[in-house]
Amino acid sequence: MNKTFINLIFLTSYLISFAQVDRSIPESGPAPKINFEEPVSFELKNGLKVMFIENRKLPRASVNLLIDNPPIVEGNLNGVGIITGGIMGKGNTFQDKDSFNEEVDFMGARMNFSSQGGAASSLSRYFERVLTMFAQGALYPNFSEEEFDQEKNILLDNIKNNDKNTVSIARRVENVLAYGANHPYGEFTTTESMENIKLSDVTKFYDDYFKPNNAYLVIIGDFNINDTEKLVKKLFGKWKNDKSLESKFAKGSENEIIEPKEDKGLSINVIDMPNSANSEITFQNLVNLKKTDDDYYSVLIANRIFGAGPESRLFNNIREDKGYAYGAYSSISDNKYSKAKFRASTSTRAQVTDSALVEIIKEIEKIHKIPVSSLELKNAKAKYLGEFVLAMERPSTIANYAINIERNNLNSDYYKNFLSNINRVTIEDVRLAANKYFKLNNAQIVITAKGSEVIDNIEKVTFNGKSLPVLFFDKKGNQIDKPIFKKEIKDDVTVQSIFDNYINAIGGKNKLNAIKTITTVASVTIPNAPFSPTAEFKQKHPNLNAMSMTVEGMGTMMSTRFDGENGYLEQMGQKIPFEKEQIDSEKQKKGLFEEIYLNISEMKLVSLSAIDGKDLYKIKVNDKSYRYYDAKTNLLVMTEETMTQGGNEMTSTTKFSDYKDVNGILFAFKREISTGPQNIVFNISSIKLNEEIDDSFFN
Amino acid sequence: MKKYIFFFLVSIFITNNLNSQAVEFEQYKLDNGLTVILHKDNSAPVINTTLMFHVGAKNEENDKTGFAHFFEHLLGKETKNMKSGEWYKILSSNGGNGNAATSVDLTFYYATMPSNSLQLGLWRYSEIMLHPIIDQEGIDIQREAVKEEKRIRDNQPYSRFYEALKSNLFKEHTYKNPLIGVPEHLDNAVLQDFIDFRNNFYMPSNAVFVVAGDIEIETTKNLISKYFSAVPAAEKNDRVVIKEEPIVKEIRAVEYDPNIQIPALVIGYRTPSMKSREARVLDLISTYLSDGPSSKLYKRMVDNNKTALQVSASNIGHEDYSMYYILSLPLGETSLEQLSIEIDEEIIKIQQNLISENDYEKLQNKFENQFVNSNSSASGIGVSLAQYHTLYGDANLINSEIEIYRSISRDEIRDVAKKYLNTNQRLFLEYLPENEKK
Repeated sequence: MNKTFINLIFLTSYLISFAQVDRSIPESGPAPKINFEEPVSFELKNGLKVMFIENRKLPRASVNLLIDNPPIVEGNLNGVGIITGGIMGKGNTFQDKDSFNEEVDFMGARMNFSSQGGAASSLSRYFERVLTMFAQGALYPNFSEEEFDQEKNILLDNIKNNDKNTVSIARRVENVLAYGANHPYGEFTTTESMENIKLSDVTKFYDDYFKPNNAYLVIIGDFNINDTEKLVKKLFGKWKNDKSLESKFAKGSENEIIEPKEDKGLSINVIDMPNSANSEITFQNLVNLKKTDDDYYSVLIANRIFGAGPESRLFNNIREDKGYAYGAYSSISDNKYSKAKFRASTSTRAQVTDSALVEIIKEIEKIHKIPVSSLELKNAKAKYLGEFVLAMERPSTIANYAINIERNNLNSDYYKNFLSNINRVTIEDVRLAANKYFKLNNAQIVITAKGSEVIDNIEKVTFNGKSLPVLFFDKKGNQIDKPIFKKEIKDDVTVQSIFDNYINAIGGKNKLNAIKTITTVASVTIPNAPFSPTAEFKQKHPNLNAMSMTVEGMGTMMSTRFDGENGYLEQMGQKIPFEKEQIDSEKQKKGLFEEIYLNISEMKLVSLSAIDGKDLYKIKVNDKSYRYYDAKTNLLVMTEETMTQGGNEMTSTTKFSDYKDVNGILFAFKREISTGPQNIVFNISSIKLNEEIDDSFFN
Repeated sequence: MKKYIFFFLVSIFITNNLNSQAVEFEQYKLDNGLTVILHKDNSAPVINTTLMFHVGAKNEENDKTGFAHFFEHLLGKETKNMKSGEWYKILSSNGGNGNAATSVDLTFYYATMPSNSLQLGLWRYSEIMLHPIIDQEGIDIQREAVKEEKRIRDNQPYSRFYEALKSNLFKEHTYKNPLIGVPEHLDNAVLQDFIDFRNNFYMPSNAVFVVAGDIEIETTKNLISKYFSAVPAAEKNDRVVIKEEPIVKEIRAVEYDPNIQIPALVIGYRTPSMKSREARVLDLISTYLSDGPSSKLYKRMVDNNKTALQVSASNIGHEDYSMYYILSLPLGETSLEQLSIEIDEEIIKIQQNLISENDYEKLQNKFENQFVNSNSSASGIGVSLAQYHTLYGDANLINSEIEIYRSISRDEIRDVAKKYLNTNQRLFLEYLPENEKK
C-alpha cells in the first residue's frame, strides 16, 4: 500500500516537474571568486624587469621578452625592424642556424624572435635548455649576408603579394591618412624602402634599440623559481644597459613623432581596387587617450555599447537589421606616445557601400545626442566583468597585468580596481565620452573598394544637408585626381561588334559605301582669338582631303592639302610639307569611313569606363591612336591621336557630338579638337555628299 | 556588480599531480537519446557548453548545397522564449562569449561563460532543440549574411584552395560541393527546406551536449535533466557513405584567385577517414615534411635552394575521406613545375627509406607538445570531447589518441607514404592569380 503510494508520488512529481520547468531566461547564480596572484618580480642591474608566475597544471613552461621602447620612425629604411626580427634566431654566435633549428624542433619547442623581443615555450623537461637557447638567440645574433638576402627576398615577395589585397591596402592607407606617411604609425614598407636596406642597417638597428633599459622578461608555467632566477641572472645579466637610449627618442631626434595636422571636417576618401569583391569601409578619428585618464572607463563603455561586439548598436544595425555585412565593429585604443584612434569599420558588398557608411554616421550622431539606456549600460559592464573572469583561465593574464602597470605607470591596484571603476560609469559619462572621442569633425571615412561600382552613390552622400568632399588616393596614400573607373565588358562585345554597331547606327554599310565625297562647312571657335574663322573641309574617297580656314575680311588663314601621295600645310604664306609620319598616316586611310576599312586584327578593346558621365568603350587602334564609342548610342564620341610635328610629340583629342542626319547618314555636327591646352571647336553648318570634286583640287 | 567579490591573497593555482594530465569526464545518455558529457575542472571560474550535431555539408543534396551552414545561421536566432537576435546580447550581458560553426561533417554551437551562468548555457541549448522559430523573415536576412560571409572569405588571399581541393578530389561524394553553397541554391531555398532539414538531422539521438569547467557533477546532471528531458526523441536516419573509386591517374586542375600576385602549387591526395590509423600516420608524415625550420621541405626549398617562399603540408581530416595536401609558393622566378620536382623527390625518399631515429624522436616530441597544449582551456576541452564523440564514437580519445601516435613505427610511416602519396594518385592544382587567366 505504502509502496504504491510512494510510486504514485514519484510518478506524479516527475510529471509535475516535467510540465513545470520554468523556461524563462534563468538568473545567474552568486558571483565566482576572482583571485589575484602577484607574480614574483625582481629587476636586474641593467634595468631588465623579470616576472615569474608558477602554474603546475600542465607540464609546460614559456618565456616572453618584451622591449617597450617608444615608437621608431624607420623612414626610407622602412622594413628594417622586420628584417632584423626575421634574421634573429637564424643562428647565433653560440650555435649555427641548422644546429639551432634542429635542436628546437627536436624538443618540439616553439621559439620566435622579433626586433622587440621574442617568445619560447616547451615541455617543462626541456625548458632550461630552451631558455638558454632563447637568451643566446636574442642577445648574440649572428647577422649574415646570406640570411639577410634570403629574408629580404621573402619580404619583397610578400609586399608584391599584398598589393592586390583589398584588406591590406585598406589598413595601410587608413593609417597614412590618419597619421601621415612620416609618422611611426602611418609609415609603411614599400619595395623601394626594402631595397634601400643593407645588412649594416640591420646591425645598427639592433645595436641602437635592442637594450634592457625598457625590457620585461616573463616566465610562466611548470618551473622551479629559485633555479630559474639563478639561470636568468646568468643568461641576461651581461646584457648592457644603454645610457644614450633615451636620447634616441628625444625631441629633434630621427624618432621624433610629428603629430598629424587636424583636418577641418568630415571627408570621404576613396582608394580604387578594381578587383575587389567587397568594400572595406572605415570611419576614423584621432584622440588623446591614456589609461590614466579620468574618462578612460567611460569611453571603454561607450565603445562597448557602440560597436565592440555582436551585442552592440553598430553590429545590430548593419548586420542584423539591414543585412549589409557579416560584421561591423568599432574600437578605441589608448596610447602613451602619440594620438590614439577611434575606428568603426565594416566590409560590405559594393551596392550598399553608401548605405552602410550613412548608418555608421547615424549611429555616431545617435550616441552623441540620445543617452544610452540603463539596460545597455548594465550589459556593457557585464561584458567587461565576464571577459575579466574568463581571462583568469590564462596564466599569461597575470603577467600582462603586471607589465601593463609598469609600462603605463599605473597605480599598483589598477586591475584590482578595474571592475569597480567600470561599474561607476554613468549614462551621462557615456554621453560625454562619446561626444569627446567619437568625433564627426576632424574625421575621415576611408573606402577601399571597386571604385566603378561605388562611386556614383558615394558622391551623393550628404551630411548636415551638404554633400561630403570625396577625395581619391592611390594604394600608397598619395592624393590623386578622380580616376576613370573601368567597368566589366560583356563577352559578346568586341572591336568588330562595336564597329558594326556604329556603322549601322549612322546609316548602314551600303549607304556609307555609296558616298564618294563629303564637303563640310563649319564655323570655328578658337579660344582667345578675336575672330571666328570658317572652315571648309573636302574629302574624296579613298584618302584625298583638303581643308581651308578663312576669316571674313582677312582671307585664307590656313589650308592643308593631301592628294594621296603628298601633302602640305600652308599658313601665313608659308608652305610646310607634311612629314613622313603624317603622310604615312594619311595614306593608311582607305576610305571615308574608318570603321569600314580599318584592319581590326591588331586592335584591342581596352576598357569600358564612365567618362564625362557616359559609358564609353575604348579601342586601341595602335600605340598612337585610340577611339571611343558610346556604349548606349553606339556612336563614335572621341578619338585620340599622338603625332610628331616639328620634332615634338603631341596628343590631340577630338570629341564628336550633335549627330544629325544628312541624306540618311548621321554625322557629328560638333567637333572639338584639343591639343594640350588649346581647344578648337568646329560647329558644322552644312554637309554636302557626293559633290563632284576633281582629284587635282587636292594637289 | 555587487555580485562579484574579490579575494586577493590566496593563490588559485592548485598543485596538481603532475601525471594526472588526463581529461576526466563522465558520459551518459538521456532517455530521448541525447548523449551528455561532463568534465569537471575547478581551477578557474569558467565553463564551456557545447552542443554538436552529427550533420554537415556532406549530408546535403547535390542541388541544395549550403543548407547545413545556412541552417546554423538560422537556428537559435529566435525561440519560443527568446526574441529574434537576442542570444548574443543575453550571453554577453552575463559575461560570456560564443559562436557556432559548420564543417563538412558536423555543426556545433558553443558558449563560454563565468561558471555562475551555467543554467544560462543549459537553457540556451535546450531551447534551440525544443522550439526554435524559423521563419521567412529570418531566412531572408540570414541569406544576405551568408552571402556576405562568402564575399569576405573570397577577399582573403588563397582562401579558395580548400574548396578547390574538395571539388577536384571528389567526383561522387558530396564533399565536392562548396560548404557555403552555390548562390543559386541559397536563393532558391524555401521555408519547407529548412523544416525538412531540421526534421532529418536535428534530433537528440544525433547530438551530444558537453559541459566542461568549473561545475559540480551531480548538480549539473540534475539541471541537464530539468532542461533537456522535454526534447522529444526521434530516430536517427541511416546514412549511406558515398564511395569514390580510387584515383589512379593524376588529375590536373587550375583555380584562379583575384586577391593574389604569387601563384601557388597545391598537390593533393585523397586519403582515408580521420578515424583510421593511417590518417594518424599521415599526420606524422606532414609534420616531418613541413613543420618547423628543420623539416624536410622547408629546409630544402625555403632555406637551402631558396626556390620557395613558403611550403606546408597537412592532412585535412574528414569523416569519410580525408585530404592530404602540400602547398607551396614559389620564390622569384621559380616555376610551379620546379616546386613539384623538389616535393616529389622528398616524397620518394620517405617511400623508399625509413626516417632516421633522431627524426622519429623529434616527431614524438612535437606530438607530445601538441597534446599537452590542446587541453588547456575549458572551451578547447569542450569542443574536443564533442568532436571525438561525434566523429570517432569515443570521447576518451582526448586522452588516448596520443598513444596511437606513440605506437606508430618508422616502417608504418614508409608503408603509408608508399600507399597513398604516389604521383598517379594525386591532384596537381595550379592556384593562379586571376590576371593570368588566358
